[in-house]
Amino acid sequence: MGKTKQLFTNWRIIILIIFLIFAVISIRPAFFNEGVTIKAVLKNSSAALAGIENPAPGSSPMSKEVIISMNNVPINTVADYYGFVDSLDVNRTVRVKTNRNSYTLLTRPEYLIEELNETEQKIVQETEQVNETINGTIQSINKTVNKTITVPKTKKTLIGMQDLGLSIMQAPTSNIRKGLDLQGGTRVLLQPAEKVDDDMMATIMDNLQERLNVYGLTDVIVKEIRDKPKILGEGNKYILVEIAGATEEEVKDLLAKQGKFEAKIGDIQVFKGGQDITYVCRTAECSGIDPNRGCGKIEGGYACSFMFSISLTPEAAQKQADATRPLTIEHLEQGEYLSKKLELFLDDKKVDQLNIAADLQGRAVTEIAISGSGAGVSEQEAMINALQSMKRLQTILITGSLPVKINVVKTDNISPVLGKEFVNNALLVGIISILSVAVVIFIRYRHLKVALSMIVISLSEIIMLLGFAALVGWNIDLAAIAGIIIAVGTGVDDQVVITDETLKKEAMQYGGFAQRLKRAFFIIMAAYFTTVVAMVPLVFAGAGLLKGFALTTIAGVTIGVFITRPAYGSIIKILLGE
Amino acid sequence: MGIKAKLLDIYDKRYKGLMIFTIVLLFLAVGLLGYNYATTGEFVKQGVSLKGGITLTIPTDTEPDITALKKDMQSQLPKADIEIRRLTEAGLLKSIIIEASDTTEDDLKNAVIASKLIELKEDEYTIESMGSTLGASFFKQTIIAVILAFLSMGIVVLITFRSLVPSLFVILAATSDILCTLAAVSLLGMKLTTAGVAAFLMLIGYSVDTDILLTTRVLKRKEGTIFERIVGSMKTGMTMSITSFIAALLAYIFTSSDVIKQIMIIIVIGLFFDMLNTWIQNTGILRWHLERKAKKHGQN
Repeated sequence: MGKTKQLFTNWRIIILIIFLIFAVISIRPAFFNEGVTIKAVLKNSSAALAGIENPAPGSSPMSKEVIISMNNVPINTVADYYGFVDSLDVNRTVRVKTNRNSYTLLTRPEYLIEELNETEQKIVQETEQVNETINGTIQSINKTVNKTITVPKTKKTLIGMQDLGLSIMQAPTSNIRKGLDLQGGTRVLLQPAEKVDDDMMATIMDNLQERLNVYGLTDVIVKEIRDKPKILGEGNKYILVEIAGATEEEVKDLLAKQGKFEAKIGDIQVFKGGQDITYVCRTAECSGIDPNRGCGKIEGGYACSFMFSISLTPEAAQKQADATRPLTIEHLEQGEYLSKKLELFLDDKKVDQLNIAADLQGRAVTEIAISGSGAGVSEQEAMINALQSMKRLQTILITGSLPVKINVVKTDNISPVLGKEFVNNALLVGIISILSVAVVIFIRYRHLKVALSMIVISLSEIIMLLGFAALVGWNIDLAAIAGIIIAVGTGVDDQVVITDETLKKEAMQYGGFAQRLKRAFFIIMAAYFTTVVAMVPLVFAGAGLLKGFALTTIAGVTIGVFITRPAYGSIIKILLGE
Repeated sequence: MGIKAKLLDIYDKRYKGLMIFTIVLLFLAVGLLGYNYATTGEFVKQGVSLKGGITLTIPTDTEPDITALKKDMQSQLPKADIEIRRLTEAGLLKSIIIEASDTTEDDLKNAVIASKLIELKEDEYTIESMGSTLGASFFKQTIIAVILAFLSMGIVVLITFRSLVPSLFVILAATSDILCTLAAVSLLGMKLTTAGVAAFLMLIGYSVDTDILLTTRVLKRKEGTIFERIVGSMKTGMTMSITSFIAALLAYIFTSSDVIKQIMIIIVIGLFFDMLNTWIQNTGILRWHLERKAKKHGQN
């Protein structure tokens, strides 16, 4: 049997090849990928209205939608995209062609509304209930009166085109997710000022995520981090927020604020988040898609309505009754509503507005139903969006302000320029390290086949490790790169043990190849377990910031011990053995 | 061949003397760390990532006047503790790293801009800040992690050899590696960062490798004399250490990342001490133990 045939029929080597193929499939390399990938779509933006969907959370980099051209101008780089967008004007249509679909976007104007230091008189119509004597009986009738009110003068100026609402990045060339160190961005580590339980932690995180979304930051990772495994007790809890691109000041401000939620009718504050709301229904019985209205077709897609009930304190209910009493009733397509809306503000920024049903006027009800809707190109998407809006609203209503004060304990703002350089540099360092190992091995054994086998094995370890990281969604950051280098270094050490144990003349007298390989594996397994147990505590220590390093190293040596070392043993046996 | 034979002869005959050299080295390291602790309250100087502070990394390829920059910034921020380092890739300047504690990000950035000695371009610099309370708990936890790692390593070694004394020798060798490396880090004036702590944990794994190889070959094999088995395992072990040493050294020289640089320099120093502690200390002490045992058995 020829050596090549022997190599490719050996089951250990076949296993290695199978895993390599899996790894490559999971990495999905595409070295010449062009275009820009859509990272996130801002709600209610031109892009979202045109039907471009937000990528599903946790989706792999290569599965995201890629823009190929805009108005038939090819978009190959991020610079192309911004160059094109800069040339756009207000109220034009833009044809965006992606790898999946074509969309027609309408650019929208952006206005700056300034309140001037002067006031103006405005005449508004109001309906009042008055008692009049008609035919001898006192009746309450509605009367429309003209009223003059004084409002501050505003100035509306066109300041340009509204952002298309696409958050983009250069199309990835593989499924390997780059950590913040390697792509640039902002990382903020937060710690609640007091001890919080799991529910409260979840509430805080929902709240933070919500805020970031409200502020238009959609491409965000919010993660809970513990510095102790759950079974070992409480430990410290942290919240890690990672945002590609955003500036640090914006984010820090946003997260560190405890937050203020209020609902207003006109200028009157009706209730505040937290204390005024006693209960927000989140179970299926009293929250979900509105059974009376459901979903329907609208222009360009579908819309679904949701509703859920909340309970107010009696004081808040009374305030609402007082505020709704002077309003007029309007007849809209969907039903009868009051002339002013219930407007919801988060940190003085309006997040939503709700129509108030006409029959609620002047009544101090504590149970109120809050409704809203979500739209989408398909009914499915509309439903998902509606339920998402509902959750978002519920989150705001429940939390209002954060239940505890949050401290910013660490902030990193990493420059994208440096990040990019690290990637290229890591490749250089990897190549140099592997070549240097090969040279030392060649000098020691004077055998090209041994040196080449080690290079092949080391490279396949790197590929499998990256494939594994891509599969489970790990980010590759600087610490993980160090972990890869170290795992490969351990691999080389083990291969030296295998080579010496199996090929040395003195060892030859010592049983067959299998037995000698077993002896080598005794040493390898002992070394493997010491490395793993030494790394495990690091998975948890230090607010999880060294987790990447620890996990990559553990995964690397594990892949080595169970896949590549046995294969290396077989390669050596076939190429150099008896 | 003459030199090789002579060296082997010394290695064979004078192993006890050589062993004492490594023990002295260990005591010196412990002494230095103790002295550090007595004078400064910490064994090794901690970088801002462990004790809290701000790190500002400014990419540049033109050499700024670092002494002038430091002096200028110190005069602007008299309360702050400022340190400025160069980060090189293959010897060429890549970035300037300014580390400062007891100041704010804005103050630090403004001080750099006001100094006019180095340009701070928007979007090109990296700024990292670590709260001092987090830093403190970080440090405490990493110390616990090191202790836990050490204990688990000891248990694995004990299970592997099922023999107390040789296992203790392996653990002693690993301890010596860590302590000597810590002392060297302190002597070189380096500051320990979180990445550095990770490197120390990794070093536990690396240093135990060769000790396990040695102990397995010497205890569990029967071919040849003890010394022949030692020399055989040394050949394998030195190949392992030298490949790792050279790869880590080159990675240290060529990387442009401060994180990887610190990990690699600690591995390089650690592997150097590992070669001494495995092939002189552990080998010597193991041989001495086995020969004494053999003598006892012979007498009985």
